[in-house]
This record gives sequence, C-alpha cells and structure tokens, in this order.
Amino acid sequence: MKRVILLAGLLGLATVAALLHGQLDVGPSVLWQGLVTGEGPGALILDTIRGPRVATALGAGAVLGLSGTIFQTLFRNPLAAPDLLGFNAGAGLAIIAGIAFGIALPAPVLAAAGGLVVAVLVGLLAYRRGHGTPALTIILVGLGTGFTATALATFLMTLLPGTAAAEAQRWLTGSLAARDWGHAGQVWGIGVPLALLAFAQARHLMAMELGGELASGLGVRVERTRWQVSATAVLLAAAGVAVAGPVPFVALMAGPFGARMTGARGPAGRMAAGAAAGALIVVLADLLARATLPGLQLPVGVATGLLGAPYLLWRLSREMDRGDL
Amino acid sequence: MRRALLVALLLAASVALSLSTGVRSITLAEALSAVTAYDLHDPAHVTLMAIRLPRLVAGLVAGAALGVAGTVMQTLTRNPLADPGILGINAGAAFALLLGAAVLGRSDQGAVALFAFPGAALASLAVFSLGGGLRGEAGPVRLTLAGAALNALLLSMVTALVLIRQDSLDILRFWVAGSLTEAVYRPVAGMALVMLAGAALAFLIAPLIEALSMGANVARGLGTQPARVQAGGLVAVTLTTGAAVAIAGPIAFLGLMAPHLARAAAGASMRAQLLISAALGAIILTLADVAGRLVLAPGEVRAGIMVALLGGPLFIWIARRLRPGAMS
Repeated sequence: MKRVILLAGLLGLATVAALLHGQLDVGPSVLWQGLVTGEGPGALILDTIRGPRVATALGAGAVLGLSGTIFQTLFRNPLAAPDLLGFNAGAGLAIIAGIAFGIALPAPVLAAAGGLVVAVLVGLLAYRRGHGTPALTIILVGLGTGFTATALATFLMTLLPGTAAAEAQRWLTGSLAARDWGHAGQVWGIGVPLALLAFAQARHLMAMELGGELASGLGVRVERTRWQVSATAVLLAAAGVAVAGPVPFVALMAGPFGARMTGARGPAGRMAAGAAAGALIVVLADLLARATLPGLQLPVGVATGLLGAPYLLWRLSREMDRGDL
Repeated sequence: MRRALLVALLLAASVALSLSTGVRSITLAEALSAVTAYDLHDPAHVTLMAIRLPRLVAGLVAGAALGVAGTVMQTLTRNPLADPGILGINAGAAFALLLGAAVLGRSDQGAVALFAFPGAALASLAVFSLGGGLRGEAGPVRLTLAGAALNALLLSMVTALVLIRQDSLDILRFWVAGSLTEAVYRPVAGMALVMLAGAALAFLIAPLIEALSMGANVARGLGTQPARVQAGGLVAVTLTTGAAVAIAGPIAFLGLMAPHLARAAAGASMRAQLLISAALGAIILTLADVAGRLVLAPGEVRAGIMVALLGGPLFIWIARRLRPGAMS
C-alpha cells in the first residue's frame, strides 16, 4: 500500500513540476492563483501553454504503459511490447499515409487501423501450424514488421512537400509540442473506456498467464482470448500514438517499472501500476526534453529513446544472465 | 561458374542502367563516347562524367562494402539476422560523422569521413559484447535485440544532435539520409581503398572465421585463436561499414540481403560467398538507386529507403524460418 502511495505521489509531483518548468519557470503560488482565480499567468499556463500538453502526456503515457503491460503478461515475456512488436510503427505509418494521400479520417481512427493491421499481420506471419509459436518468434517477426512499416512511412514522407515532411518527421519521433485540449480529450475519452474493457479482461489474462494448456483446462478459449485481449491492447497503444506519435520504449519500460515500484502481483494490479508508470515516464521525459537545454525543445521521443534504449540493453543482459533468453 | 557469369551479367546491366537512367536519358553509345572522346561542351558527357559516374562508383563501393560486412557478421556470429544497419553499426558511424562535423564546424568531407571508423568500431564492439559475442554465445535473438536497442539509442542521439545544431542541419543531414545523390562531394576514391583493405582482410581470414563458426572449442581444436579471429573480423566489419557510411550514409538491410542471396548462389565456401556477396551488394544498391530515380521522377527516393522496403520483408522471412533451438 505504501508503495502504491509512493508511485501516486511521484506522479503528482511530476505533473506539478511539468506545469511549473519549461522555457519559462513559474512559482507554485502563481500556478495556485491561476487555478483558484482562473486569471493571471498561472491560468494561462494551465489553460493553454502547459495544461493540455501535460494532460495529453499523462493520457498517452498511461495507455501506452497499460498496453505494454497487457502484452508482456499475455506473452509472458518482458520484451513483448507494442513498440518492439511494430504496432506503434504501424499506427505511425497509417497517420503518415493519411497525410500523404489526404485521407480525411481522424488521427485516432487511422492509428487504430494501422496498429490493428500490423498486429494481425504479425500474428499471421509468426503463426506456425502444429506447434505453438514461441514468443521470441513473435518478437522477431514484430521487429521486422516494424522495420518495414518504418521504411514505408519514410518512403511516403518523400511524397510530402518539405515543410509537411519535416513536421511528419518530428511527429514520427514522438512529440507533444503544441497539443491542445482536443488532443487531451481524445486520448482520455478513448483511453478510459478501453482501460475499463482491459480491466474487465484481466480475469482471462490471469488464466492465460498460467500458460495455454492450464488456461484451456480452466475453460478459457485460449486462441480467442489471446486475440480479444491483444485487440484491446493494440487499440490502447494506437490511442497513445494518435496524440503523441510512436514514442519509443514507454510501453516496454512501464510494466516492469510499475510492478517493481508497487510490488503488484495480480494482472489487474500490474496493469494499474503499468499505466501509472507509463504516465510518469512520459511526463518526466517530456519535461526533461523541453526544459533541460535553454532555448531548445527536443521531441519527447528523443528523451524516451535516450532513456529507454539503455534500459532495454540492461534488461537483455539481465535476462541473459538468468538464462531466459 | 554459370552463377558467377550470371552475377557478372547482372552487374554489367545495373552499371548500364545506372549510367543511362535519370532526368536526362543517355544512350550507351553516348556513355562510351564520353569515356573515349570526352567533349566538354556536350551536356550529356558532362552529366555522365560529373554526376552519374561518381554516383555509380559510390554505389558500387558502398554496396560491395556492405555485402562483405554482412557476410563477415553473419558467419562470425552465426546469426542469419546480422546486418550493419540492424545491429546499430551504421548508426554508430553516422553519429560519429555528425559529431565530427559538429566539432570541426565544417563539412570538410575528407577529414569528417574519417570519424566513421572509430564510430563503427565502437558500435561493433558494443553490440558484440552486449549480445554475448565476446563469450562466443551471441544467439540471433540476443544479438538482434541488443542491436535494435543500440540502434534506437544512437538514432535518438543523432536526432538530438541535428535538432540542437540547427545551423548545421544541412551539413549534418545528408549523411543520415542513406543516399548516393551527394556522391560527388564524398571521398569516394579514398574510401574505395579502405573498403578494399577491409574486404581483403575478410577474404584472408575467411577460413579462420569458418572454423570459429563451428564453435569456439572446435576452433581451438583446429588451432585457431578465437579472440584473434574475432578481432580480425571486427576490423574487417569496421573498415567496410565505415567506408560505406562515409560515402552513402547508413544503409540498412543490404548487409542482410546480399549474403543470403550469395549463400544460395555460391554454396558453402565463405570466400566464394564474400566475392558473390560483394558483387550482389553493389548490384542491389545500384539498382535501388536507379529505382529511386524512376518511381517519383523527376523527384528522387533515397536508395536507402528502396533497399529497406525490400529488406524488411526479408528480415521477417528469415525470422520465421529460425528454428526454435537456434533462438538463444
């Protein structure tokens, strides 16, 4: 319980810090005044400058973290995250394709479609008849599908005029620049129902975690459950990608990080912890990216890349020492 | 023998295509007369000698270099998914190049190109040791994931550097693109020599690498010293990858593709594979460059993108075929 409060406290602190700091720092009293009276510089920061950005970061981080935790539990492998599996790249590709071909669909719809198409592709390509598909085959096939989707997105970007291409490049890196309340509403509005659905599926996830045979012995339809739960998790990741771009490594890091911090054991507990950890990671990474170098705003994806890649390397060497990989 | 002939024919065809295709079509007769009787006032001759030929040579050198690098890496690590791009060695060379350009504050092509080599060397060393290669246990999954992580880290650093030094964006940008358009400005001749040195080293130690690929114990029994062979292999990979990045930017998947096709064409001997793989690398990159000129004409698609569009699906195909026993 104590550790749950610690994670929640950290999240609160990070949120406040993200509102206070940036190219221009303000004091807590200014922010408080803005919150209470709705006037002054504090209100401006809350309403337009940093409020929507931080709200979007929290939402995107939470859905990505939740998605990663679900996949990691489902495949019983800490490397099974939507970014490594190529789903984020698929969602990104769909959005770039939307810009390039002038498809007038909302970004979340495009992202969801792209993520789902890639997920189905990875599932079909990795599937091997007769014997069960090893999680590592799925991960490698997902990695390759992600490479291909990224190559296609880069190809489509050459079709765009210069400024649009630069914007698309920034977007593909994962950026929270110039987010408004529309973005925040989008990710929360879509994320909350999906999260509720995911928690409703947690019971199945617990059975799946025991392994395919035990789960089917308990009366769970394994293949169907796997597809259903995966679909929810893909849509969650797509909701995040739609507002923040394919921010790398958040989904990968959030699950283990949240579980470690809170000590949560059951799937539902770990899912909640993973969502909170994802939100914490994105808010902190965005703060780091925009407030450490004066006069310079780096996209949040650069910061999560700089943090996340060493984490993946460390994780790999640990798995290797334990002989799991 | 027939296959070697086929590869030679393909090479000749891609050379001819690369010289004749572009905004201005040039006939082969014109190309021949440009070489034999160069006329400064004939625009076709000038285009050919000043733009197309350097571009072709750069593609041939970089393609051959990546073919050699891929073959050495795949045999040395017994990893069919090894490629200088996927394992982050390209990104290491590119990052070092950008850092060099930023530190020197200029785009002096010759001096800046030299930074590619320490970058490639450090990245190779890092990914081999992180992937367990130094202990002779670099399984495909482990090495590929370590490479993907290293690649992501280095690309984040490249992005950060390019965004921080916006003034030098133009100097920096062209080396990250994976393109042959800037070939005229690159030290192609010098890098061709470096590539040849790396390829010669690989050819020389190929039997030792083959012995090592049977396992460290077998290799020791055959009288080879695993650490030395690995060091030699790393030097060959560094020289070839560094040369390729210095003239063409980081091109991924070519080092994956060429060795696989070469194995099908050349059989089991690594020396034969090296030769065929170098030729195939040169052919694929040249054809990718030609295709990039055609698909969006009069615009261009970078050769690196065209290669990646083919390489991604190939990666999936190989990953599917990995036996579960060979995974770790």
